[in-house]
Amino acid sequence: MADAHAAGQTILVVGGGISGLTTAVEAAETGYNVLLVEKDPHLGGRVAQHNKYFPKLCSPTCGLEINYQRIKNNPRIRYLTLAEVEEISGSEGNYTVRIRKNPRFVTEACTGCGDCSAVCTTEVPDPFNFGMNQVKAIRNNHAMAFPSWYYMDPEFAKTEAAKTVAKSCPVGAIQPDMEATIIEEQVAAVVWATGWKPYDAEKIRPYGFGQYANVTTNMRFERLANVYGPTSGKIVRPSDGKEAKKVAFIQCAGSRDHNYLPFCSRVCCLASMKQAAYVRDQYPDSEVTIFYIDLRAMDRYEAFLQKTRDDAGISWMKSKPARIEEDANGNPVVIGENTLTGERYALPFDLVVLATGMEPHSAVDAKVPFAGASQDDYGFVTGGVLAAGCAAMPTDVASSVQSATAMAMKAIHAAVKRG
Amino acid sequence: MEPKKIGCYICTGCGIGDALDLKALKAIATKEQKIPVVKDHALLCGSEGVAMIQKDLDDGTVNAVIIAACSHREKSAEFRFDIDLMERVDLRDKGIWLLDVKEGDETAEEDRQMMAEDYLRLGSVKMKKMDIPSPFLHSEGSKDVLVVGGGLAGLTAARDIAKAGYNAVLVEKSDTLGGKMNSMLKVTPDNLPPYRDMADNFIGALISEVEADNRIKIFKNATVTKTSGQPGQFDLIIKNASSTKEIRVGSIVVATGFDLYDPAKLPANLGYGSSPDVVTSAEFEKMAKEGKIVRKSDGQPAKRVAFALCAGQRDKEHLDYCSGACCIYSMKQAMYVIDQFGIDASTYLIYQEIRTPGQMEDFYRAAQEKGAVFIKGDVTGVSGQAKGGVAVQVNDHLMRGKESLEVDLLVLATGMVSTVDTTDPNVASPVGTGRDELPGSILNLQYRQGPSLPRLGASGFPDSHFICFPYETRRTGIYVAGPARRPMGIAATMTDASGAALKAIQAVEAVAQGVAVHPRSGDLSFPSYRAEGCTQCKRCTEECPFGAINEDDKGNPLFNPARCRRCSTCMGACPAKVISFANYSVDMISTMIKEIEIPEEDEEKPRILVFACTNDAVPALDMMGRLRSPISPYIRIIPLRCMGSLSLVWIADAMSKGFDGVLLMGCRHGDDYQCHNVRGSALAENRLSKVSETLQRLKLESNRVKMVEVNIMDAETLPGVIGSFVEQISNLNPNPYKGF
Amino acid sequence: MTYDLTFAKDVYQKAEMGHWIKMCMQCGVCAGSCPLRAHWQHSPRQLFQMVRAGKRDEVLKSSDMWMCTSCYNCIVRCPRELPITHIIHGLARYAETQGAADPKQPTRRFAVDVFWKNITATGRVGEAMLTMRLYFQDGIGAGIQRGLEMRDSALGMLKTRRLNPIPFRGKIKGYDGFTKMLAKAAELEQKLENKA
Repeated sequence: MADAHAAGQTILVVGGGISGLTTAVEAAETGYNVLLVEKDPHLGGRVAQHNKYFPKLCSPTCGLEINYQRIKNNPRIRYLTLAEVEEISGSEGNYTVRIRKNPRFVTEACTGCGDCSAVCTTEVPDPFNFGMNQVKAIRNNHAMAFPSWYYMDPEFAKTEAAKTVAKSCPVGAIQPDMEATIIEEQVAAVVWATGWKPYDAEKIRPYGFGQYANVTTNMRFERLANVYGPTSGKIVRPSDGKEAKKVAFIQCAGSRDHNYLPFCSRVCCLASMKQAAYVRDQYPDSEVTIFYIDLRAMDRYEAFLQKTRDDAGISWMKSKPARIEEDANGNPVVIGENTLTGERYALPFDLVVLATGMEPHSAVDAKVPFAGASQDDYGFVTGGVLAAGCAAMPTDVASSVQSATAMAMKAIHAAVKRG
Repeated sequence: MEPKKIGCYICTGCGIGDALDLKALKAIATKEQKIPVVKDHALLCGSEGVAMIQKDLDDGTVNAVIIAACSHREKSAEFRFDIDLMERVDLRDKGIWLLDVKEGDETAEEDRQMMAEDYLRLGSVKMKKMDIPSPFLHSEGSKDVLVVGGGLAGLTAARDIAKAGYNAVLVEKSDTLGGKMNSMLKVTPDNLPPYRDMADNFIGALISEVEADNRIKIFKNATVTKTSGQPGQFDLIIKNASSTKEIRVGSIVVATGFDLYDPAKLPANLGYGSSPDVVTSAEFEKMAKEGKIVRKSDGQPAKRVAFALCAGQRDKEHLDYCSGACCIYSMKQAMYVIDQFGIDASTYLIYQEIRTPGQMEDFYRAAQEKGAVFIKGDVTGVSGQAKGGVAVQVNDHLMRGKESLEVDLLVLATGMVSTVDTTDPNVASPVGTGRDELPGSILNLQYRQGPSLPRLGASGFPDSHFICFPYETRRTGIYVAGPARRPMGIAATMTDASGAALKAIQAVEAVAQGVAVHPRSGDLSFPSYRAEGCTQCKRCTEECPFGAINEDDKGNPLFNPARCRRCSTCMGACPAKVISFANYSVDMISTMIKEIEIPEEDEEKPRILVFACTNDAVPALDMMGRLRSPISPYIRIIPLRCMGSLSLVWIADAMSKGFDGVLLMGCRHGDDYQCHNVRGSALAENRLSKVSETLQRLKLESNRVKMVEVNIMDAETLPGVIGSFVEQISNLNPNPYKGF
Repeated sequence: MTYDLTFAKDVYQKAEMGHWIKMCMQCGVCAGSCPLRAHWQHSPRQLFQMVRAGKRDEVLKSSDMWMCTSCYNCIVRCPRELPITHIIHGLARYAETQGAADPKQPTRRFAVDVFWKNITATGRVGEAMLTMRLYFQDGIGAGIQRGLEMRDSALGMLKTRRLNPIPFRGKIKGYDGFTKMLAKAAELEQKLENKA
């Protein structure tokens, strides 16, 4: 079977996060050619920004490494970084796609030696860490980034300084005048795996994110707790660098809410329990409070909820807080009603973490550029192309992998039909 | 086989040439290791460098390549040659980048040169010891897939397998296809909008599609009484009342679904059995399907219905997990009542937490909009009423008190229990699952390690890495789909079945090419053993994490290469050193250990050997290199496929050779293990507990050998771990065996 | 107490915006948002659950829904888009039409005994009379005391022409139409009552 697959029966996978990676390696290992397109400079997507996975509290890098090895060892997979699909036409079995490959300003000849970064004096806010720290204008995102070639910020590439940096490269891999290219491909199937972005917490006005320094979001907290994050993994308050030992996690910040995202983002409860563990592990005398409406620890994750409940340092408040204020000491004060007692509370914390929900990229900046595509009211992809992981629904890693593997199967169906 | 013609190519880029004495390094390769072709290039991964290697391959000067440059994890595309033997020597990431050498510090420069020379020696002897792995191929292999279970998951899997161009054999134990779906009146929305509306039951159409597909062979009233062999050649005996059929398939999807928790075992406060008007969700669904939403006691219309969610679930005495689908399922049933009785209907859902993830929040809202009332609380008691119906006592968390409900029916949302069999009583104790006895075997595997799929964790799910690789089981080529794997609803079941079907066809393709599947996808090597040396100790057959090895009557191992994941745990387990791979063996690593130069005691340059798991520890060490976190120049690193391959012989070799210490870096083990081969690091630790005997025999301190758990993200802490071990070793006297 | 939906179904149908009560998911955001939270016994979401539990007397006799000042914080924040302010007013009105409201509840007394009478008499609010009636509804002594307490505010309002000291006499233009409108509304309300 595998050898009989004609050339041209390529499966296009859009998005190089855990879903896209999975569809790509699973389809390729079944014998099909895959073109994987990622808009960022590295693969790994959202999971690469995570410190740990629930419920095992293990590093996402561990599973990513296996998938990267599978890509490195499999000539059936081609991958493009800094690339976006601009247009899709045709129909299942026979799509034509136009891909824009944005300039990296560094060629694949890059050996990752780091000389350029050492020479470069221009620093920019680090998008990988949500701008919480400054990084060099030429870099890779972290030591485990794949592919490991460096990249240069487009704005910096326009400067004279970029030319000086380019001269530092011992292998001549830096080309500040690199331009975007357009690629056209014929593919049998399109799997949309563009994932999600954290909902813009500034829109949730009563919680004061952006206004109060010590109100942060779950994804920022993930970086804060990570050894390659802005504080090298030290959990501290952004305002004064004080150890954050009294931490609140507020669920459904933007999810299950008609003012923001009406759907449930599924992972936030469990992610907050995981993040509570980060705090508890770092500071044995810490106190964590989790504010929630319903604790959604689906099926086997229930064990993780039970484990979290066994920690006396974590308390629970069944309440959607009404608002957050700031006291004179810069402590965010969470205000609301405890629905189990009917009592009103106003509780000060060192740090408040908003469990902001998942906004599908396909709703905002990665709409399917195909006339035959359909999406639901929330922007999740429902038809016209195949959708894997969080492009189809807000979900966790395990079920994204489940979905992505299933979509590899559906993509193969399209390729087989084409014959 | 053509004789090995080795070429060694040394890259001098990325500072390697500046840091090292190239002439001396080349001399090691040519004079000491007798490698016929030794070349260097200032940028080996560049097109010129690659062309240089390719030319030697093309003109036949070389057929085996040693690349002495960066980590094997870098530049894999550039160094992809169409050859059978290649070895990467890491002079950069785990070499010069891991050493802090000040300009002009001659001692440090000398140490660095010694390290590089040792790594070149290691690569050279490894290449010499390597044979070309030839794939395990079988001429009568099958690419058909067995699907066990004719419910939603099984039907979906069979259909998807057929649509992909493969044959499926579908075995259903009852006389009808469709399974539990047949009893459903309506279904919850299939992850497609409108999420707020119930959908029509589609199982009939799916059954017809499967029945009409001539790629799918269906056996009803049938069970699999025997599964022997291995992927590509699983030989099955399929039995029904009248006949026995022998069939060969290539891989298997287990889609046997779930049993509902036995309602008789539910907590007494839920009142099952106390009144006919207390029913389970399944019983209620049947009533609804038959158009009889009535009180069972007197046949009166059941307009007032309460649903007790989490019945016998999320409860340590019963099912300790949540079934994930019952909230939505019960909302659907409440909608039945409301749709039938309109304004007269009164429905209550008594819940702990409402779990309607994703877009199914819409369905929750739809149920409320129709008028279903949600009560957060526990059912504390149920009593039958003389006038029919039941009174339900509720401890209402939000109203903060005892409330009661008078309803016509109380419906208990009981949970899903996997039908996958287990031989482990700890995993499926009758208490935890509500079963009176362990379920019968589905596949009756003729495996040394038993007829069942191993299940892991307290609740016993038959998978092995459910976050990153949810389909992987510990039986190669056998994948579990749907609620048999973990509790799930309709949409998730269909997705799961498609994914498992993909894994099943992937497995038959891998077997057809004689390569491994996950995690060493594409690996051609497989274990073989020297029969005359075997002591029939059975350690290999017991320890194989994937049950790949059977035994003959005498206790000799019978390898099933297509079951093997190439983790080499068997190799490490074997005390007689008779198990090996073409390109990985006890002898190979032993020879490597012996090849490392050990300075004389008076040079005061200790040597510490590090065995690093290639999956997590090696990338972590690479990362340290990238971050230029220096470690002691006395360290020598040998990557291992998996800690499971650790042979105690290597420890003895290292000690006899004069190494002062051995540090082992394996993955986390225990409940939340990270070992990609499930048991590798745990088994290594277990083996190490016996290493003190070896050390005692050599009259050496037991703390010369240490195993640490290393996570892939430990690059920041690992220098400290290594540093403290180096310090610990330097506090001991030098190993007296140096120079012997 | 027994859960019974008879009351809830009546509220869903008859109280203004009452059917929205079905949609509350008991998150509690309304309670934390209400500036008068110190002054009531049950938060909006508690009232809603009490409606669904069938606690008719407790809900209707409650003072809670008379406390709303229509600041709209709860509406803005409610994740389920419940028009809480309107539901609360609807519940108050429902309690009144059911004859179940506590007659001594001050807001109710103001609304029914003072405000309604004042506005329906002329077609517009006469501020001076309204204030007088409100202050003196518990007797002359209490009225004088309240008047003194509020003296500064009253003077300020007079100065800035926020209070017209001269009582409004006569009727608004189109008073007939106004009374017809009220009669029609009453008729519609009765119809709804009869239908249930």
